[in-house]
Amino acid sequence: MARKTVNIELNRVEGDLEFQVDLEGDRVADARCIGTLFRGFEQLLIGRAPKDALVITPRVCGICGTAHLFTTALALERMNDVPVPAHATIIRNLCLMAENVQSDIRQTFLFFAPDLLNPRYADHALAPALEKAFKPLQGSVVLSALDVSRTLVEIVAIFGGQWPHSTYMIPGGVTRPATVSDIIDCREIVDKAVRWFEKEVVGDSLDNWLSLDTAERFLEWVDEPAHRDTALGLFTRFARDQGLHTYGAGTDQFLSAGAHYDPVEWQAPYGEQRTLLAGGVYDGATHKIEAFRPELITEHVRHSWYRPYPDGRHPFEGETVPDYQPESDRYSWAKAPRYDDRVVETGPLAELLTGGDALIVDLLKKEGANTWLRQFARLRRASVLLDLMRAQLKALSQELNNPHYLAPADGSLDDGDGFGFVQAARGTLGHWVQVRNGEITRYQIVTPTAWNASPKDSAGRHGHWEQSVIGLPLTDIDNPIEISHVVRSHDPCLVCTVHFVGAGKKVRYGV
Amino acid sequence: MATMLWLQTGACSGDTMSLLNAHGPSLESLVANGDIQVLWHPSISTEPTSHLAKLIEQIEKGERELDILCVEGSLITGPYGTGMFDSFRGRAKIDIVRALAGQAQAVLAVGSCAAFGGIPAAPPNPTDCTGMQFTRDTAGGMFDTAWRSKSGMPVINLGGCPTHPLTITRTLAMLAQGLPVELDAHNRPTAFFNQMVHQGCTRNEYHEYDVEDTELGGRACMFFNLGCQGPTTMANCNSELWNQRSSKTRAGVPCFGCTSPNFPKNGDLFRTEKMGEVPVTLPLGVSRGHYMAYKNLAQAAAPMRVRDKKMDT
Ligand code: SF4
Ligand code: SF4
Repeated sequence: MARKTVNIELNRVEGDLEFQVDLEGDRVADARCIGTLFRGFEQLLIGRAPKDALVITPRVCGICGTAHLFTTALALERMNDVPVPAHATIIRNLCLMAENVQSDIRQTFLFFAPDLLNPRYADHALAPALEKAFKPLQGSVVLSALDVSRTLVEIVAIFGGQWPHSTYMIPGGVTRPATVSDIIDCREIVDKAVRWFEKEVVGDSLDNWLSLDTAERFLEWVDEPAHRDTALGLFTRFARDQGLHTYGAGTDQFLSAGAHYDPVEWQAPYGEQRTLLAGGVYDGATHKIEAFRPELITEHVRHSWYRPYPDGRHPFEGETVPDYQPESDRYSWAKAPRYDDRVVETGPLAELLTGGDALIVDLLKKEGANTWLRQFARLRRASVLLDLMRAQLKALSQELNNPHYLAPADGSLDDGDGFGFVQAARGTLGHWVQVRNGEITRYQIVTPTAWNASPKDSAGRHGHWEQSVIGLPLTDIDNPIEISHVVRSHDPCLVCTVHFVGAGKKVRYGV
Repeated sequence: MATMLWLQTGACSGDTMSLLNAHGPSLESLVANGDIQVLWHPSISTEPTSHLAKLIEQIEKGERELDILCVEGSLITGPYGTGMFDSFRGRAKIDIVRALAGQAQAVLAVGSCAAFGGIPAAPPNPTDCTGMQFTRDTAGGMFDTAWRSKSGMPVINLGGCPTHPLTITRTLAMLAQGLPVELDAHNRPTAFFNQMVHQGCTRNEYHEYDVEDTELGGRACMFFNLGCQGPTTMANCNSELWNQRSSKTRAGVPCFGCTSPNFPKNGDLFRTEKMGEVPVTLPLGVSRGHYMAYKNLAQAAAPMRVRDKKMDT
């Protein structure tokens, strides 16, 4: 079954991850984030009809398929400036918001919270309360989170027929217009989620919670009786007591492409991103924001199992030829994306920093990036989006009699180069497509996980996750729960594993 | 109580999401009712992965019973037959699956990847992957056709990309409660694969009168021009609505036949191959002669409301 690999690009989409660290004493001296799965999605697309990408790319990821679908539609539209009606953009936004909020809720309560029940914390005063709330498949918050996340994706099913994996966003719009019933149904779903968030997560009205704008006000608020025993109260008080707000920073550069498209401003000819939450690169040292410039993205493969090339390449010029070399200093199926030669972090924290959430900006200024803040930002984003969803539904009700789809002009999908970005649940997602004579000739995907979980690049710079654990002291090297917290605060894909090598002694690889 | 272990191989987690979306029964109710005990699931288990490694070892050695093995994702054999495109702790996942399947009472291939190879097995199949007991529509995949689990069943194929949420949890319930599981020719439980997507599609009246859409975004039938495979695809999408709300065809998305062994088909997914006016692949069981005869009649008989595509979907 040997296969000669052909000279075209393929991929490293999010898949299984392992994480290796080197210890010196009880301190992490080096770290390797290892993508252990290679699926070759970009190769599957070569030679296919352009619209087929709308069926295939959502299957890159079952958790953020809506984001992939949206990005594919944008990339195809951008090849020849295909117009998209506002009606469609609003529906696309709503569906992506539903997917992202669903993911934020599941990630927080199904994937991050269980680590708070680690045996290490068994004697902690909050342990019984944490257990009651966060016990997998049994805790009160977990059960209600499952229920509400399941309900939220019904919004995608209303417009797309099912979640996950559908193909209702198409170049020029969406496959079905919104109806009056849809607006009522979606509103009911959003309201249910808001009620849950107010009762279980914050113990306050959404408006009040969103109006908290300084670290000081927040820290007082969270200690008030109405808030201290909510899901957010428990998580925050416990995490800060354990010092999760003091470690796990990583790089201080935060990337967001800008979240959710402005339905009116984002029209052909497509120039800069026009988004509801502004994008950019937020500098954690100067607290300044630069504009996001897609042309500054490159990908390195020096430490990845791909045929080597020097430095980094822009995705339009990149190649991805697998070259598995287990006995070398290369260690991952992930490439190393860099922005303007910088290691960046992407995700809800970045999205809210560039988007100007006053509370998140103030917390970063006071305490720097950290594990608790990253996870906190995820819950914060869920509520920001729930609020935005209500506004989008209002806007949608104004569009009911306007077209949901404008058939692209003949030939506009047959030739061209396009790219698109959205903010997926885990951060900035980019697709680059090249079409010639009605066939895809190149397809390149850079996932949020690729940004965060990248291995070292050609200059030897560690990826962001690696940086966020290097130097970390461990309380118990046989139960390295700190690493778990840091890694999970990034919302790694489901099967991320903290693969721990050489407990108790220094293990060195040729890196 | 049936023990269940869920492994992800070359997967996208879509079937896991589907599992979490199931509402009746939900996974949490199967657990609460004492039907299922989850030994391991990558997104639910809280133990470190060393626990999974230990479980694998115990099951392999026969020290621990495994009732249901669920596999999500395609079985990757690349590069060069090593399986190392997809590994766990330096061991190819296909080897782990092979070892565990040999000890399990029942083995479920959850999703079209595990069942038939799915999207990753589409040409040029960059990772050399297969399904568990099928390679697309050819019987025999990672296991040959004679392979049987301990209870004497072949791999039970829950086709779909992803599998319908209720198909997953109901199959788990059937196995846990000792209900009979009857399989079709592709080893899919007939209870969920005994009807076509076309049955129950709200666009059926358009289909009957041969009122066709030529562009996406419309209200009429998508079979004639837009590649809809509803009339040849066995699945319950239009009778058990997705997420309790809708289905792809209701939302104006052609059925791509994702529960079938040959998903995704080669060639343009949004186009219907035709010979003259007539689709090359006709609805299941329909003869070309009859089809030609009634197609023109149907068109002529279409009432105005249907011809004008005024009926909402
Ligand atoms: S069958 Fe579909 S949903 Fe399931 S793992 Fe494969 S791509 Fe994902
Ligand atoms: S759209 Fe597809 S499933 Fe619906 S009636 Fe037409 S052929 Fe059947």
